Amino acid sequence: MSSTTDAVSSAATESSVGVSRAPKKRMRKALGTIFWISICWIGVVFLLAIVASWIGLDDPNNGDFSLINSSPSWSHPFGTDDLGRDILSRVIYGARVSLIVGFGAMGLGMSIGGTLGMIAAYRRGAVDTLVSAASYVMLAFPALVAVIAIVAFWGHDIWKITIIVGVASTPLVYRVIRAATLSYATREFVTAAKAQGATDTRILSRELLPNVLPTIISYFLIGVATVIILEGALAFLGLSVPAPTASWGNMINESRTYLSDNPWLALFPSMAMFLFLIALNLVGDALRQSFDAQESKL
Amino acid sequence: MSNEQSSIAFPSTEELSGPLLRVKDLRTTFSTPRGSLTAVDGVSFELGRGETLGIVGESGSGKTVLARSVMGLLPRSNTTQTGSILFEETEIVGAQEATLREIWGAKIAMVFQDPMTSLNPVVRIQRQITESLRLHTSMDRAEAKATAISLLSQVGIPSPAERVRAYPFQLSGGMRQRVTIAIALACSPRLLLADEPTTGLDVTVQAQILDLLSSLQSARQMAVILVTHDLGVVATRTDRIAVMYAGHIVEMASTKRLFASMAMPYTQALLRSTPRISQPSHTRLIAIDGRPPDLINPPSGCAFAPRCTYATDQCRSERPPLRTAAEDPTHLFACWNPLQTGNAGSITTAKGEN
Repeated sequence: MSSTTDAVSSAATESSVGVSRAPKKRMRKALGTIFWISICWIGVVFLLAIVASWIGLDDPNNGDFSLINSSPSWSHPFGTDDLGRDILSRVIYGARVSLIVGFGAMGLGMSIGGTLGMIAAYRRGAVDTLVSAASYVMLAFPALVAVIAIVAFWGHDIWKITIIVGVASTPLVYRVIRAATLSYATREFVTAAKAQGATDTRILSRELLPNVLPTIISYFLIGVATVIILEGALAFLGLSVPAPTASWGNMINESRTYLSDNPWLALFPSMAMFLFLIALNLVGDALRQSFDAQESKL
Repeated sequence: MSNEQSSIAFPSTEELSGPLLRVKDLRTTFSTPRGSLTAVDGVSFELGRGETLGIVGESGSGKTVLARSVMGLLPRSNTTQTGSILFEETEIVGAQEATLREIWGAKIAMVFQDPMTSLNPVVRIQRQITESLRLHTSMDRAEAKATAISLLSQVGIPSPAERVRAYPFQLSGGMRQRVTIAIALACSPRLLLADEPTTGLDVTVQAQILDLLSSLQSARQMAVILVTHDLGVVATRTDRIAVMYAGHIVEMASTKRLFASMAMPYTQALLRSTPRISQPSHTRLIAIDGRPPDLINPPSGCAFAPRCTYATDQCRSERPPLRTAAEDPTHLFACWNPLQTGNAGSITTAKGEN
């Protein structure tokens, strides 16, 4: 037993765990100002989209016909469109569509594609071969064309678009998450967990998921940005939410006709989309970098 | 320290009899793109309760595969196993995973070679220890945590109450290996498989970890299979030693007997290739020439014959069976031209000096 006590005292000098609080502070600093500005901006957009109905905005769908295509003014800070509707109000209500489609579709894509990816990478064998083959088939088909065809056929309310875009994003998500899981699935700690009697479900959810989570989060945010662009593209083609519901995409689409008379009409929804997407990308990227740095430290 | 452990029932030695583990003619074959590879070929041994067996051999001799076979941990897709591994009343060869899962962690546990990879980097130590406690015992969260802390203090980790909150990267290599031992011991297994537990560690830490393992073992009446390539590691810490080469056990004897009168030239060669403090500095180590044989096309005859200085034509054409030494029925060896006692004795003297 004396050897154990010796070991204790020598082990005491081996390392110290005084770092439990330090990483958080360091992380906050390392992520940088731009990251926090982006986070704030995303937060503001979310908040406005949620409270839009209660902050006394003008009706986004019924305009004041005496005041069409007006420039920004005190009563209409972003101006009005060709039907006299307040653009500020439409941009804020339009955020709802972008957020629901963006986060909803990516959430769906992540839960289907991510789950399949993790299972395929962990189980390998026939499951992997089958699901990977299916994902290649889906990837070989041009996504936008497929989405346009299905939307045109099935109809285009916001939930249908969310589901269609979500399913269309599955194969890409699947590939990314499968690759990320694969690098962990063969590590010894998975065998070690198995040797402790853990079930497959437990290994997937408690051993592998925490390791893959950084990839999931950063890819999720960048995926949301891509989906919002896709929704914009659909809207531009008149295939997103039906009029008069505002979305950033169909506002830009409607503004085409008046581009020379009223550039404000195109500017504000474009700016909203641009700033939101760049914020998402910056956050996703900063997180990925921060996770990568921590990974190399391990 | 034993009172801290009261929540876990130790198996009392009186009520248990007969060997803990009975391995009979075990053959583990992997199917590879080049053909089938027999990594463990006809291995038989028994392990009593509380006994320590050292398995020694070079890289590629099949010792790790043997350890994992005993546990039933090998991937099922490309592995075939024949023979029998009887652990208490459970047959492990061909068992369903659900059956094995009840034994894994609870009755057989494993300490892996590299604590850098065998701990999950993003999960706190506490949860890695309590995982199997929650799985195999009816402990609630608080009890499991208390047990985790007591386990950490048993494996010699200072201020365990704070350390349970740490992540693996906050600990040094030696501390991590202590944590993996704590994880393996969580449910008081009857059999601990230690697969090169000290290979990835500093020499000074190696001795600490090995001493820790043997003190925990004697306190818990736990059988240990210690897999290593280093005869020095097993010399003082095992009851019996099995030497493996090319998937076969080529010599097995009690530790004392093996070092006193080893019969296999391979065992001798392994011992000669270990550096010794008693030697003058800059002494060249006697390496074993050549490489272990290709197990996909194993040579006919003795697998060690191509590298053996004593090899004869019989060695090259006919595989030596495992036979017992005349003076000691527990001493088994597979050699046509066993070493004379005097031959091995010179080595023993050298060993005895340090």
